[in-house]
Amino acid sequence: MTFTGKIEGLHITPRSFLPMRNVETLELIEGLGIEGDRHSINEAFHSDRPEEGRQITFFEAETLEALKRDHDIDLRPEQHRRNVTTRGVPLNHLVGRRFRVGACIVEATRLTTPCRHIEQITGLEIYEVLLHRAGLNAKIVKGGQIHLGDIIEPE
Amino acid sequence: MVKRIHRVTTIVARIEQVDPLVKLFHLQDPEGWELPPFTAGAHIDIHLPSGLIRQYSLSGDPACDDTYTIAVQREEDGRGGSRELHDALHVGDELLVSLPRNTFPILDDAPVTMIAGGIGITPFLSALPGLIAMDRPFKLHYCASSRDKASFAAMLEQMDLGSRLQIHISEGGQRLDLAQVVAELASEEHLYCCGPTRMLDAVEDTAGSLGARLHVEHFGVAAGADPAYEVLLARSGQVVPVAPGQTMLQALRAADVHVPASCEGGVCLDCKCRWLEGTPIHRELTMTKKDREEWITPCVSGSASERLTLDL
Repeated sequence: MTFTGKIEGLHITPRSFLPMRNVETLELIEGLGIEGDRHSINEAFHSDRPEEGRQITFFEAETLEALKRDHDIDLRPEQHRRNVTTRGVPLNHLVGRRFRVGACIVEATRLTTPCRHIEQITGLEIYEVLLHRAGLNAKIVKGGQIHLGDIIEPE
Repeated sequence: MVKRIHRVTTIVARIEQVDPLVKLFHLQDPEGWELPPFTAGAHIDIHLPSGLIRQYSLSGDPACDDTYTIAVQREEDGRGGSRELHDALHVGDELLVSLPRNTFPILDDAPVTMIAGGIGITPFLSALPGLIAMDRPFKLHYCASSRDKASFAAMLEQMDLGSRLQIHISEGGQRLDLAQVVAELASEEHLYCCGPTRMLDAVEDTAGSLGARLHVEHFGVAAGADPAYEVLLARSGQVVPVAPGQTMLQALRAADVHVPASCEGGVCLDCKCRWLEGTPIHRELTMTKKDREEWITPCVSGSASERLTLDL
C-alpha cells in the first residue's frame, strides 16, 4: 500500500470529558502514550479497561468534511477527541499495519468506535454518523516528537 | 461508588457567601484546563463526598470556559445535600461532577420573559450575560417572600438592567401579577419559570395556552409515601416487597436488584424502568404523559395497585 499524507491537527487533554486543546507538537512515548494526554496517565474514561491501542488515536480530516457535506454537521478537529487529525491517510485500511508519523512509528490495532459521550460534550447528534469512520487506535512503536505538517506514510 | 474517570474532576476554587443562607461555589479543573462547555439553563450532578448526588443549575456565564458556578441555598430541613455543601466543603476540595445537561435551554434568538421564585433564579443567572451581550430583548421577574430571601437582588440591581428587571417582594405587597405578565407577552415570546412547585403550578395554569413557548424547571423533591405493595420483576420472576415509607428504588436495592439512579428526586430520569402491569403513581417531575404510559421512576414513584410489574 502506498500513500503520503500529513498531520493536519494535534490535540490533547489531560482528563476524561475535558475539551481537547490544539497544539503544534506532541511527545510520543514508546509503549506508553502521549506525554500529558489522558490515556498515558490513566485519567481517561476507559482507563479502567487498559488497551495498548489507545496510546495514540487518529482521525481523518476528510471525515470532518464529509460530515459537513452530507449531514451539515460542523465538527471541529479538536472536537473529535482523537490525538491526530490526518489528511490523505486511509486510516480504515491500516489496521494491523505499521506506519510512520514524522520521525515516529506506530502500529494500528483497531478501528476506533465512537463514544456516546461525544454527543454530550459537543451537543451534536453525531454518534451514528461516525460509525465506521471514527478513526484509528494505535500503539507507539518508536517514540519522539511529532509536529503539525509532518508526513505520514507506510513504514 | 462512581469512578473518578467517569466524571469531570473539579476542585473548589472559591466560595462566596452571598447571604446567611446562600453560597456560591466556583469549581475549576485542578490544573485550570477548560471545562466541558454548557449552555444557559444547564445543570450538573454534584457527587458529594458522602455519596449523595444532587443537581444544581450552572449560574455562571457559559462564555467563561474554565469555571462552573453553582448557587446553593442551605435547606435546614432538606435531605442533607445543601448542608454538606455548606458545612463540609472547603476551598481546594475535590468534587466530581457530571457533564452539563440542559433540560431547560433558554433561547437567545427570541424575546424571553423569565420568572424566578427564590433560589429558582439560578438557571437565569447563566442566561443574563449572553442576553445582555447580544442585546436581546428580555424581562426578568425575581420573586421572593421577603427582601431577606431575595439573595441575588443586590447583585441583579448592580447589573443596571433598568425596566428589564422587576423584583417582587410579596411581604411588601409587590406580588407578581402573573396574568398581566402573560397578557403582555409578544406573540413569539417565550416564558420561562423556575421556582417552587406552587409557583410552577400557577404558571402552568395561567400560561398553559402558550404550549411550546412555556418552559418550567422544577427543583426540590417530589416525594410521597405509599402503603405496602410488591413489585414483580417480569424477567426474573422475583417479587420485591416495598414497605410503607420505603421507595421502590430502596426496595429494589435491598433485594440486590441494580437500577442506575442519580438524582433520586424524580428529575433526572436515570432510574426509569418500563412498567407492564398494575397502576403506577407517577411522582417524577419531568416525564411527558406519553412517556408515563410506558415508564416509571422508582426513585419517587409508587403503586396504587397491590402489585406492580416491571420489565426487569
